[in-house]
Amino acid sequence: MTAEDKVKINKLPTGVPGLDEIVGGGIPEFSFNIIAGAPGSGKTTLAHQFVFTNATPERPALYFTVLGESAIKMLRYQQQYTFFDPSLLPESIRFINLSQVVLENNLGAVLEEITKEVTKSCPAVVVVDSFRTMVRAPQEGMDLQSFIQRLALFLASWQATTFLIGEYAEEELRDNPIFTVADGLFWLRQTTERNSIVRKLQIVKLRGQASVPGLHTFRITNAGVQAFSRTFGLTACRRNALGLKRLSFGIPEMDKMLDGGVREGDSVLVAGSSGTGKSVLATQFIAEGIRQGESGIVAVFEERPQAYAERAATLGLDLEKPQSEGTLEILYLRPLDLSVDETMHSILSAVQKIGAKRLVIDSLAGFEMALSPGFRADFRESLYRMIFALTGIGVTILSTVEVDESFIEFPFSTYSISFLTDDIIRLRYVSIDGQLRKIMTVIKMRGGNHAKDIREYEITNKGVVLLDTRLTEYQGLIGGLPVHTGRSGRHVGTLVDAEDEENG
Amino acid sequence: MTIPPEIRDLAQRLLTYEAAVDTNSRPAEPAILRVYEKLRQSLTVITGVASFQSLACRALVLAKSEDMGLGVVQIAADGSLQNFGEVEPQADIDMGQIGVYQANERGIILIARLLGLLHMFLGEVLILRLLRNAWPNATFDDRNSGNGRKA
Repeated sequence: MTAEDKVKINKLPTGVPGLDEIVGGGIPEFSFNIIAGAPGSGKTTLAHQFVFTNATPERPALYFTVLGESAIKMLRYQQQYTFFDPSLLPESIRFINLSQVVLENNLGAVLEEITKEVTKSCPAVVVVDSFRTMVRAPQEGMDLQSFIQRLALFLASWQATTFLIGEYAEEELRDNPIFTVADGLFWLRQTTERNSIVRKLQIVKLRGQASVPGLHTFRITNAGVQAFSRTFGLTACRRNALGLKRLSFGIPEMDKMLDGGVREGDSVLVAGSSGTGKSVLATQFIAEGIRQGESGIVAVFEERPQAYAERAATLGLDLEKPQSEGTLEILYLRPLDLSVDETMHSILSAVQKIGAKRLVIDSLAGFEMALSPGFRADFRESLYRMIFALTGIGVTILSTVEVDESFIEFPFSTYSISFLTDDIIRLRYVSIDGQLRKIMTVIKMRGGNHAKDIREYEITNKGVVLLDTRLTEYQGLIGGLPVHTGRSGRHVGTLVDAEDEENG
Repeated sequence: MTIPPEIRDLAQRLLTYEAAVDTNSRPAEPAILRVYEKLRQSLTVITGVASFQSLACRALVLAKSEDMGLGVVQIAADGSLQNFGEVEPQADIDMGQIGVYQANERGIILIARLLGLLHMFLGEVLILRLLRNAWPNATFDDRNSGNGRKA
């Protein structure tokens, strides 16, 4: 059977930003779905968003409320969301309360009532909220599974896309025969991690199409539920081929060390201890990009955008003008309970808005601190996804990371993330002649013949400036406590292997 | 807790509209009962019987605090209005027309209290949408609004 021979399943928009991508393009038309989760996890709001997105006067939505939250209160609260459009009531969206039927009769009567209303209105969407409250008392005549089975058959025949909403605890997910009937099972989780609430959703099953597996963060704002896909909405994007272009730092000596500059689409890690000039280098990188017509994003976590721009101005770098011209955006992301996915969403939106080619994350430590404690455990994995996604669309990322200065080892990062990066530039202090001086070296450069030099540099009012001599008269520079060998310093004319120099 | 003038005005318009529409077909049933019944039918579908009944009871308590003459009126378990026809005019007033006037006034108070509660819980826009559904041919023109509201 060819693709053309197969029945086409229409996909209905969920009305939930980010969720369409997670479910594989939309909710399959005429599917029978269950939204499960603990109270307060956003089930009703999610269903409302779907209803308000898909209901029309010709094919309305029937929203059956049963026991539990009173319909008046539900409408009172739901209308606070921006998606709630009262003009759709009651022609396109009809709320029908079944509590009396449930209290006075059995499930057979409930089914009969739903059947009657559906037959009368021919709805495109049917929601039963909450179907689980119907079976608090022992039932005569029909059990819940039979009820669900018959309801599913009936509503599919009547061409309705259906959502049943139910309160379920995590442990009830296994071996529940009710869930086998459903075409789609959406599980909403809400957990408390120290002082933060972490919300995640999972598409446990969805027949007929491939959804993005795993747990996806979501947030409930005044716009309703907003989901953040683990793939950041980039599953449909083709990965860019590796770029040949080299991106300059605006520091000629440093570009030389990098074999002409950072390769486009690379992820660069600038590691060093406090005060070594990581942020200065990052600022020069972004400013040089703007000077060359490459828009940029700076995600800052440790200082506000204004302070960041003012500090850049002391280096002679104007970040105000590109911001006003729309070629630079400085994002301040520090609400302390973010997920990486939300942060990514903010960054990605900014990248897409201004067509950014360069992204600076300053710093990874600040980034981690901005996350909800529950997400910090997944920080490495999340970084991997983020870097993979962004570099895949051709964005060159420069991240700064603070490392504890050690005089017995030479760490690149406290996160063990060097494998995530294409290039690593290490900055560090060394003690020479009674001074605390600074050196830099390129540790790694994937696909490039970088210099092996250890170069001394200074931070001046022009930013990072590499001194024109290599410190060949010292051994043990990378340990921070070099020993003077008595040889005179050499000018940098050729790329000499630093290791050879180290060995004398 | 007083009734906002616009809510009272809306209740009055509903009663006036209903009185004008149906005087020939069912003259024996007061407009207040027809207005109340339409509201009950329309809202019970959305809220359920129990929810509407409790809302109506609260409205009646508020109305009674405003007019003791509503003392005999009750809300049945299904939310329907009972004994409104037995509402007596005040003892010191014996003119027939005054009695009719008082029944209308008490009807306005009760409906206004019910609309007031709905207004407080659901807001003006949603209430007008629901009223439009119950009275599809009526016009609820808001003279206080620059935009105006049409049913």
